[in-house]
Amino acid sequence: MTGIDTSEIAKNPIVGNVSETRCGAPDCGESPRKRTLVRDEGLEPQDGVPQRAAASSVPLVPSGQAEQCYLGIDIGSISTKGVIIDDARTIVARSYLWTEGNPAAAAKRVIAELREQIDPARMRVVGAGTTGSARRLVGAMIGASVVKNEITAHAVGTTYLHPDVRTILEIGGQDSKIICVQNGIAVDYAMNTLCAAGTGSFLSSQAHRLGVEVEQFGEIALTAKRPANIAARCTVFAESDLVHKIQVGYAREDIIAGLCNAVASNYLNNVGKGKKIVAPVVFQGGVSKNAGVVHAFEEQLGMPVAVDPDGHLMGAFGAALLAADAGPVAAVGDGAEAKLRSEASQPSGRSATASSPAGNTPAHSSAPAEEGGPFATGQFDFDAALDFAFTTREVECAKCANHCEIICVYRDKTLIDAWGNRCEKGEVKTGR
Amino acid sequence: MADSMNRGGMPDGRGAISAPSASGAQPADAAATSGFEGARENAQALADQVRSKIAVQLEKHRAPSLLPKHKPFKRDRHKPVKVAFFRYCYYDPAFKFFVEQVLDAEYLPLPAPTKRTGELGALHSSDYVCTPFKHHLGDYIEALELGANVIVQFCGPCRLGYYGELHESILRDLGYEFDMLNFSVGAEEGALGWAKQCMKTVNPDLSVTNGLVKLAATADMAVKLDEARDFYLANAGFERERGAFERTWNALMDDMRAAKTDRDIGAAYRRAMEAMRAIPLDKPADPIRIGVVGEMFTAIDERSNLGLDAKLLALGVEVHRALNLTNRWIRYNEPNLRASAADYLTYDMGPTSTLTVAAAHRYAQEGFDGIIHAKSAGCTPEIDCVPVLQRVSADFQLPVLYLTYDSQTSDTGLDTRLEAFYDMLAMKKEKMRK
Repeated sequence: MTGIDTSEIAKNPIVGNVSETRCGAPDCGESPRKRTLVRDEGLEPQDGVPQRAAASSVPLVPSGQAEQCYLGIDIGSISTKGVIIDDARTIVARSYLWTEGNPAAAAKRVIAELREQIDPARMRVVGAGTTGSARRLVGAMIGASVVKNEITAHAVGTTYLHPDVRTILEIGGQDSKIICVQNGIAVDYAMNTLCAAGTGSFLSSQAHRLGVEVEQFGEIALTAKRPANIAARCTVFAESDLVHKIQVGYAREDIIAGLCNAVASNYLNNVGKGKKIVAPVVFQGGVSKNAGVVHAFEEQLGMPVAVDPDGHLMGAFGAALLAADAGPVAAVGDGAEAKLRSEASQPSGRSATASSPAGNTPAHSSAPAEEGGPFATGQFDFDAALDFAFTTREVECAKCANHCEIICVYRDKTLIDAWGNRCEKGEVKTGR
Repeated sequence: MADSMNRGGMPDGRGAISAPSASGAQPADAAATSGFEGARENAQALADQVRSKIAVQLEKHRAPSLLPKHKPFKRDRHKPVKVAFFRYCYYDPAFKFFVEQVLDAEYLPLPAPTKRTGELGALHSSDYVCTPFKHHLGDYIEALELGANVIVQFCGPCRLGYYGELHESILRDLGYEFDMLNFSVGAEEGALGWAKQCMKTVNPDLSVTNGLVKLAATADMAVKLDEARDFYLANAGFERERGAFERTWNALMDDMRAAKTDRDIGAAYRRAMEAMRAIPLDKPADPIRIGVVGEMFTAIDERSNLGLDAKLLALGVEVHRALNLTNRWIRYNEPNLRASAADYLTYDMGPTSTLTVAAAHRYAQEGFDGIIHAKSAGCTPEIDCVPVLQRVSADFQLPVLYLTYDSQTSDTGLDTRLEAFYDMLAMKKEKMRK
């Protein structure tokens, strides 16, 4: 560290506080600016929507009859994504914004954005699926019929759009995964463990250090002549490497290109370790919008890497597809029979997991709507979902020495879901 | 033993006694005079002296005997020391039987582990030590707080072999007083060394003959527990009434804990198996089958793997796991096991490596849907297995989920991975069926 000029560091306040840059938290505070930038950068929000959606706006059902639509929300650690798909399973509405550390509020904003894009007279949302790290919370909030992990959701979404895909690379805000596909079916996957180096939050914290918006990373990286060699095994080492290269006087674009290369090689060495990467390859997740990383992958793999314009929405799309497979939610009145069936068929007691294809659940058991929830009438009530106040409370169970932390979700002071307990002593009775 | 040798070789022995008697008589006589004086104070000395006189003066022929003379009967061999093991999945009945029946001491049962156990263990361990070490240390601290006098640690062919030594010194540094029955000490002498250790640290009066019989029963109990568990894992995911299998399993554990004899063990096992077979199942003809392989503790111990068994069974999966005490210790034949997967194994790589690879290979041959490999962070032998498993995975088109555990307590990430793994296998299976 002897070569570092301290006055240089003082000029850049973020360098002084390493821990802050490392934890990925800074993203949360600056969303409005970022949101506009996302739009400018062509992260494919509403208006720049391509042909697929345009084609789908041709009415597939006779006018006058409302179309059955499904909602899918992917609540990640950094960003929240939402889509609405129509009967023909094309995306008709999409939303992408920052979670800002408040998944419930982010989900509401996504729902509000989606509502503006559809014509309520023509489209009825009859089912919803959630995925991502806050899937359970938001699933409870909106009464989702499918609450699915993000790996399955991504695999389902991508294989639907690209039936011939063999390898799916995915780099998100806090996690990264690889999914190997054969004949349109996921056959193997791996997910990063223990370390979030080489994910989106790493890139954005490094962007802060360099004084560049992370959205411009791709462009800048592609102009590099000689990418710098940066160790990306660990964010701490990468940072010290980076500081060194900056102080030695490397060009900024070379450093940025080096970072992009490092992310790609870290991914291939850790997540992709031991997996056979076969073309065609699809790259998705927020980082896939970074052309520099795409280029690095193409170079290191020696094969073309496709990036779908909706790649960042694939989790939400997959969740919506799974909800469509599960069928429409039955309204409270006529759902009694369905409720009985689904209770009998869920011995594991997992609430609202999708009908498991090989399990003992019938493929089309429509999940019963929850009394008083947004799906109470069998149709998603946007106003209800936006009006409800949701609170989460953590309760420490005192019934034994283990002190499980039980997370209780309340909608307007009614307890709608709770999880986290490990034995029957701490079981919380909910209406579900 | 020495007694019978002497008596068996009587003619020689007599010669040996008579020969040195010329030289040995002198001190004996000298001792005799002073011995008679001391006799007033100490009757025992007198008796010894008299006995030695008789031995020296013995002329009468005594019939040789191969059997040792009957030792005076020890009325009470029981030693009231409290012996505690670390917590190890479902083996505590076997540990209890071992302590009560073989060592003839008192067993200290430990309550279910809590967050505090893990925190205590992690606090006093080096950060980079394997995770089971931390769990065991927490267990020992809790056991000593509950009044244990002796704590027990296994021996093992990896770092496990040093656990006992390290645990002991850490606990002594913390100020605890106890005896340690560490099976790494005396391991080079084998069973004899271990027997010596047991007598030295726990109960010097234990009956060796009875101990051997009961040791066989202990091994039998472990085998029966493992067999019952295998049935449980294969079927509990499909029970019609939720919790039926767990109730039966808990009853079996209670019966085994109460067992005093071989017969009790057999009866408890038969009762449990009958009860488990009678539980109505909703099992499809071709269920999803997952084989669990991995490291000695993490792959089995529910506390170490955050309830992997229960999570898999809740998903509706048939679970198989070759790793248990039976397959690793009681019926372990490493060279033959290695030969069964000769394409992948040339050398014995360590404690459970052969079993891990051989079991994975067998699951692949049997057409399982997936394999889960569970290890603790920093378990070198199991890290060595990963590339081999990757080869098995590629050769048989069999997905393997690699799980690494540290002393974390949050299972959210594990749930996500297991659910995704299950979904993947289920979708693949459905597609194949069509």
